[in-house]
Amino acid sequence: MLLTGSKIVLFGIPVALLKVRGEHRQRAFPRNHAVRHKLAPWRRVATRMFVTFDFHRYHACRCNLTRAVTLEEMLVSTVKLLSHVFVGMVMGAFVVGAAEVSAIEPAVEESVPDGAADSQHWSYRPVSRPEVPAVRATQWVRNPIDAFVLARLEERGWTPAAAASPAALMRRLYLDLVGLPPTIQEQKAVSEDVSARGFDKLVDQLLARDGYGERWGRHWLDLVRFAETNGYERDALKPHVWRYRDYVIRSFNADKPYDQFVREQLAGDEIEEATSETLIATGFYRLGPWDDEPADFAEDRFDQLDDMLNVTSQTFLGITLACARCHDHKFEDYTQREYYQVVAIFNPLQRPQSGRSDLDSPAGSRLQIAKVEQRDAAILRQDGHIHTLCRGAANSFLEKVAAEEVKTTLPKNVIDALRVEWDKCTTDQRRQVRSHQSKIVAALTPWLDQNQREACEAALSAIAKLQRETPDLPRGYFFVESSPQAPPTHLLLRGKANSPGPEVQPGVPQVLTRESIRFLEPSSTTSQRRLSLAQWITDVDNPLTARVIVNRVWQHHFGRGIVRTPSDFGVMGTPPTHPHLLDWLAHWFTHEGGWSLKKLHRLILASNVYRMGTGWNDEYAAADPENNLLWRRSYRRLEVEAIRDTMLAISGKLDRSMYGPSMYPFIPGEILEGHADKLKIWPKFNEAQANRRTIYAYVKRSMIVPFLEVMDLCDTTRPAPERLITSVAPQALTMLNGDFVNRQAGYFANRLVAQAGTDATGQIRLAYRLALCRESTVREQNLMRQFIESETARRLGETEGLSEADARHYALTQMCRVILNLNELVYTD
Amino acid sequence: MSMPRRRVAEHPTACGHSRREFLWETGAGFTGLALLDLLSRDGFFEQLRAEDVQKVQGLLAPRKPHFEPGATRCVFLFMNGGPSQVDTFDPKPMLEKHHDTKYDGGIEVGSNGRPIGYLMKSPFPFQQHGESGLPISSLYPHLARHADDLCVIRSMHTDTAAHASGCIQMNTGKVGIGSPSLGSWVNYGLGTENQQLPGFVVMIDPRGGPIGSASNWSSGYLPAAYQGTHFRSGQSPVLNLSNPDGVSLQGQRSSLDLLKSLNQEHFALRQNESELEARIESYELAFRMQAAARNVVDLSRESKKTHERYGLDNPRTEDFGRKCLITKRLLERGVRYIQLYSGGGHIEDTWDGHTDCISNHKLHAEETDRPMAALMQDMKDLGLWDETLFVWGGEFGRTPTSEGVGKPGRDHDWHGFTMWLAGGGVKGGQAIGATDELGFAAVDQPVHVRDLHATILHLMGLDHEELSYFYQGLDQRLTGPAEAHVVQEVLA
Repeated sequence: MLLTGSKIVLFGIPVALLKVRGEHRQRAFPRNHAVRHKLAPWRRVATRMFVTFDFHRYHACRCNLTRAVTLEEMLVSTVKLLSHVFVGMVMGAFVVGAAEVSAIEPAVEESVPDGAADSQHWSYRPVSRPEVPAVRATQWVRNPIDAFVLARLEERGWTPAAAASPAALMRRLYLDLVGLPPTIQEQKAVSEDVSARGFDKLVDQLLARDGYGERWGRHWLDLVRFAETNGYERDALKPHVWRYRDYVIRSFNADKPYDQFVREQLAGDEIEEATSETLIATGFYRLGPWDDEPADFAEDRFDQLDDMLNVTSQTFLGITLACARCHDHKFEDYTQREYYQVVAIFNPLQRPQSGRSDLDSPAGSRLQIAKVEQRDAAILRQDGHIHTLCRGAANSFLEKVAAEEVKTTLPKNVIDALRVEWDKCTTDQRRQVRSHQSKIVAALTPWLDQNQREACEAALSAIAKLQRETPDLPRGYFFVESSPQAPPTHLLLRGKANSPGPEVQPGVPQVLTRESIRFLEPSSTTSQRRLSLAQWITDVDNPLTARVIVNRVWQHHFGRGIVRTPSDFGVMGTPPTHPHLLDWLAHWFTHEGGWSLKKLHRLILASNVYRMGTGWNDEYAAADPENNLLWRRSYRRLEVEAIRDTMLAISGKLDRSMYGPSMYPFIPGEILEGHADKLKIWPKFNEAQANRRTIYAYVKRSMIVPFLEVMDLCDTTRPAPERLITSVAPQALTMLNGDFVNRQAGYFANRLVAQAGTDATGQIRLAYRLALCRESTVREQNLMRQFIESETARRLGETEGLSEADARHYALTQMCRVILNLNELVYTD
Repeated sequence: MSMPRRRVAEHPTACGHSRREFLWETGAGFTGLALLDLLSRDGFFEQLRAEDVQKVQGLLAPRKPHFEPGATRCVFLFMNGGPSQVDTFDPKPMLEKHHDTKYDGGIEVGSNGRPIGYLMKSPFPFQQHGESGLPISSLYPHLARHADDLCVIRSMHTDTAAHASGCIQMNTGKVGIGSPSLGSWVNYGLGTENQQLPGFVVMIDPRGGPIGSASNWSSGYLPAAYQGTHFRSGQSPVLNLSNPDGVSLQGQRSSLDLLKSLNQEHFALRQNESELEARIESYELAFRMQAAARNVVDLSRESKKTHERYGLDNPRTEDFGRKCLITKRLLERGVRYIQLYSGGGHIEDTWDGHTDCISNHKLHAEETDRPMAALMQDMKDLGLWDETLFVWGGEFGRTPTSEGVGKPGRDHDWHGFTMWLAGGGVKGGQAIGATDELGFAAVDQPVHVRDLHATILHLMGLDHEELSYFYQGLDQRLTGPAEAHVVQEVLA
């Protein structure tokens, strides 16, 4: 370890000075100032002398071109640094005892595949297919995942924690895959077959459920900053954006191959088999916030492009390319030029808008859209025909109307349009005539002769026929690219929209490609740049795509990825805890797995690693407190969606209807305080609708539903690869006193009475089965019974004239409230 | 990428770093090991661990500043809509001279796309106040008593002419939504002294919130625990503070007792999961918060005279007065950062005097003058003055020209405007920087919003370059990547 340490020091310096690399910078000083304070005296004698001085300078100006480090400063730094290295080595040797060294040797170091001699960062290298390691405890190995994990444990002479109990495993699996606890019938069915085979069968059943897409689709929505409004002053709604959410749920449920899923979102309009669904998929680009009244329009355009680039590079590739907007990336090998080359890929996309209003568009295949366009042209001709026929007769009609001899319900602007020749009508007038057509014909009938009347009728029925034959397309919310000719893209000096530099051609960061990628020729309709990007990203040889998604799936099964920074696989990210396993999975996924996420789930869930329990071991914990070696299952609280949906399931109120426009969960009146038109901000509470699963809750950027926000919903303005888990008092207030939990507690109590009668023990046993999926212990039953009795008595004492039955029901409701607040409810074992 | 390196609540140490992370971050080499060893022998990790388990609210636990601070709490008096500098703290004699004339001098006077009218002098005469002789307009007779404590920055400037992005920039440093606000950063940096109350309190105007509402007190990518809590003056100042209907105090307590004992039994079999214990503790804290928060807004505990001093007896000043009095009570209880909004909703309900800046400013200044002055006086009397930092200002200022000819409105001016600081660590009785002779743009010692933020952080003992949070591949900071400077002249 001493040697390793000195190597880090000695090799670190020249590299750091040539180009400040992230790992060094990051390790250079503690980020948390609380630590720094504790360290203050030590820092003076050690840390500061050793590294802080130099790297801190870089840190301070790392993102700041206006204060570049001069050569002189660098040289001075070098001299100082070298002298500090010496001091550091002496101090290190003096202080560190050998015993301590072995104790703190990082648990995660494992040589990265393909030899450490290769200087290229691990995640940029091609995905390898490592050998499955040999292990001693072969009986524990159900599939290669187990071998990879076990081999690392055996190196230390460790054994994995014992498997979780069948009941714990069942609850874990249900919440993990479908985000809902098993019903009592399901619990029974599972308990009849607790074999590993039975477990695999259960996995298959759950993966086939609609709930799977609702649970895992939500993980995806976090990554793509899904919300239904634009934020900022007006916070205007994104019309029909829920169709994107539905697209995601459907894709997960259909087990759409991941490469196809990616291609559809990146280039659903450019792919051969474009449909309304794939067009809606490209809404992915347009989900971000948008300032419809920007201070600077040019700057705003690049902010939008930056948002597209950021979400694309983080979500699919796990890279932080957006950091290269104003200058070359400080820690990764991405140049500013490459940033704008990627911008050039998205630059042809345009936002359909009318002034400040965000517009939707028809979603369909090119053929469908062409057909609708033809239909509309034909309808327009008929419109003109009718208009001209009616105009011939309109004069006398209009005179009578003007003289108020004839009353008409036609609006004034329609009447005005009748005074104008069809060719001279404005688009708006044509639209008005269009929408009042049959009324116009009816109003003018008395002034039309037989032939004219028949001609009008014929035209109207022709229009009806056209509409019948070619129905309207669904509307969707996405950007459009309407020309094969892409606009020029310039590198922006210091990232400023008003300082264009040289023009750049589309491209991708060189460090990620072995040979430069070829962009397709423009088609007749688009530049095909995004399709080219999509093809490169979904190429099996892309080093990042498969590693990133496999890691994300792992992350949601285990609470943490093999790479702990799931959207940063760069040098600033954390290296994988099990690099061989990650590569093996990524390779398997694209080769044997055929990009099927459900196959990947099956593989992971079939492993004994997944089935491990939470058993503790002091010795392992001391050496590996973060459980990087996966010697046990780590605890992790459920996400707010699973918590809310679980409560609805327990109370029996969960509405399982899927898809469509979002529902509006309850919002306390105080939140709307100060809004003039409250119903415009948030519709009146409709409980039946609000009882749908949380993925269908309306996401309004300026007003996130408090229950969701306080329970750690992700940031909705940027890609969110991971949920934070916090425990603060406002959460407890929400769970104890808030409308939602109390409502569900009431229904839960009603359900207990309806299904278990009035016997307290029966009620308690049922409550535990429904909520915690297990039998209650005798001790628990006694505790609960005592609570019900004492609360009933107290309530009777507090409230005059209350019947005993009502008081008892109150007590039962309070018991239900307590159960819904239990730690056991929001954690799985 | 975006997983914050500092994972909350999962790490057993109070610093949020495991030994291993600590090792990496201190240099990974010898020194790191040496330090780790020294600290371990010193009981650093063990001590933190034990402490942390005790104080499971690690996220909000008080933390030491980077250096000796000027102030430990901050009150941001946000004049929503943009108050006019030339009518408040930045006298411009040249406007008297050229009043009602079309300006054709060398300064390019712009507008926010609205018609540019003639130059318009201030109808509010300026007078020098205190020993320092700081000029303040007649809009602030009460505040003027504190003239010697005010540090007026006349050379503020910002990047945007729109209210939404302006408010968001003033609060979060960025014109786009989604970044943590100043109050969140301060709480992240310093924690909170009183766990029974939120560390970051926001009180808005009854006429409406600022444009962009909660984005202005969002914790952005920081944990939600640091976001501003919208505090109301009614019986239930914090959301879900009251027991559910029909549940008495004793009823609540006995439910909590049951919850606690069941959770403890669950925890007893999972002793090593500190998250579980943190959640148990959060319920106890919530119970205490119910009483503490209600106590804060119970103004009947303040004397009649105090009510009068804050203007609670006058319908004009009543609302802002109540907010200031609650602020006083929050400050007494150690709340870290409080933001009060004057003006809400749109146009004339805020300081946004497009049509008639004169009556607009008369109204809003009158609503706030007396209560602000009373709050400042109380802080002095209570001996909290040196610990409390006051910040006054809006998202931008207003043009020295009228908006269109012949009407007394003023348009947005983001090229130059005024804010002031007072209290702990601030050198009062002075004006820093200057706008041009008309008061349009900052020309002498311009202070950008990020410089103001750096200065506020500095006054609270935090270094704006060190106060960072690892997110999406970068150490994010309030002041962003561009260079920001602490305005040294502000410091006492």
